[in-house]
Amino acid sequence: MLAVFGLILGIMLAYQFRVTREIQRIESVQTVKDLAIQVDQMKKDRDALQARVDTLRARLDSAAVGPLTPEMKDELEKAKVEAGISELIGPGVEVTLNDSNISPRPGENPNLYVLHDEDVLRVLNEIKAAGAEAISINGQRLLATTEVRCTGPTIVLNKNKRLAPPYVITAIGDPDTLESSLKMKGGVAEALQFWGIQVSVKKMTQVTIPAYSGGIKFEYAKAVI
Amino acid sequence: MNKSIYISIVLVAVILGLMMAFQFRTTSGVDRGVPYGREQELAVEKRQLEKDMNQLREEVDDLSAKLEKAGKGYSEASEAFKSELSKVRLYAGLTPVEGPGVEVIIDNLPETSISGGTSSFYTIKDDDLLKVINELRAAGAEAIAVNDQRIIATSEIRLAGNHINVNLTKISAPYKISAIGNAVTLKSCLEIKGGLVEFLSELGITVKVQAKDNILIPAFTGGLQFEYARPAQRG
Repeated sequence: MLAVFGLILGIMLAYQFRVTREIQRIESVQTVKDLAIQVDQMKKDRDALQARVDTLRARLDSAAVGPLTPEMKDELEKAKVEAGISELIGPGVEVTLNDSNISPRPGENPNLYVLHDEDVLRVLNEIKAAGAEAISINGQRLLATTEVRCTGPTIVLNKNKRLAPPYVITAIGDPDTLESSLKMKGGVAEALQFWGIQVSVKKMTQVTIPAYSGGIKFEYAKAVI
Repeated sequence: MNKSIYISIVLVAVILGLMMAFQFRTTSGVDRGVPYGREQELAVEKRQLEKDMNQLREEVDDLSAKLEKAGKGYSEASEAFKSELSKVRLYAGLTPVEGPGVEVIIDNLPETSISGGTSSFYTIKDDDLLKVINELRAAGAEAIAVNDQRIIATSEIRLAGNHINVNLTKISAPYKISAIGNAVTLKSCLEIKGGLVEFLSELGITVKVQAKDNILIPAFTGGLQFEYARPAQRG
């Protein structure tokens, strides 16, 4: 009788103690949830702002038609393509990269069979060398300032755009040149395929490359006039 | 005698009860704990989004002002347009820029320091430069040049024979990478323990990173010819 009483007392004591501590814990869970909701909402707001910027740019373009010489218009068009702030279409290639389908044998370093940021960088570099005019990865436009970084199983681009494999690199340029530069003997595709990393290159008659969807502003670099 | 037996039974029962309850709570609490990493990740994402949105808001204000100006008359419109053009050219890398940043000098080890070797056993490859540039970009570099070749969105850095091609121009060691941005961040991203400076030094490459108050980075000088890409038509 006494033993049962003692057991119940013990359970109650411990329970009370844990509940008090739990209260603080639940709060931190709540903060993270709130944070996630906030981030989601901010993403929507950002996209809305981006859409507004796009329409304003288009309106400015049409407003400037009058006082513009064709040369100036052409110059702006080219600068926009290079700056990555206009949506583009054209022929090109679609390169799909995915982790290895070889399962490493016991004792082997599984890291060797995983796609790394360096591999993506090399493929991108090869595509640029083959004369690509515009490039995107999983819908993210590649800018002059775009970095490619591994964070765990995903890569991060343009500071906060997280992408998961498979990575689809889309490039506009001469489809034949682009394809052969990747597939040539001793080329990037061969080097990656050695580790079983899946590389597929598809020539496309038309691909669409989206505009960069973030703010651009230089804080440190100032134009030299 | 009887009393002390009772007391010890009660004690054991209390302890047993405590342990049971504790165990139960711990097990159920496991999946409720939020990994610290995720919270931090969200916080970083939020900060970046805030920055993005501020930049976009400025862009909206800027464009609206120009649009309003363009509606006023011929000369105002042309002025608004010119200022838009110079802004876009700045982002595209078609304008020389200056600002604080770092200068990274990367060179092969001098040949004399290699005992008995006729040439250095490791020469700098395009990959090494690519990695340094990628690291600088991740640390927020706004403009980058390698041996005064401006790196734009379509610039390649590619081994071709004994030298490296950047923007179809041959460059060779020593390589000087200039980057404009927060000098402290740029410097530390390379010099961090286990970072690129350490990694490259192990390969036998000398890397010197120097923070500078003002760096001049030239404009992209090649021609911009787009043979294949054309703007997508909208609505």
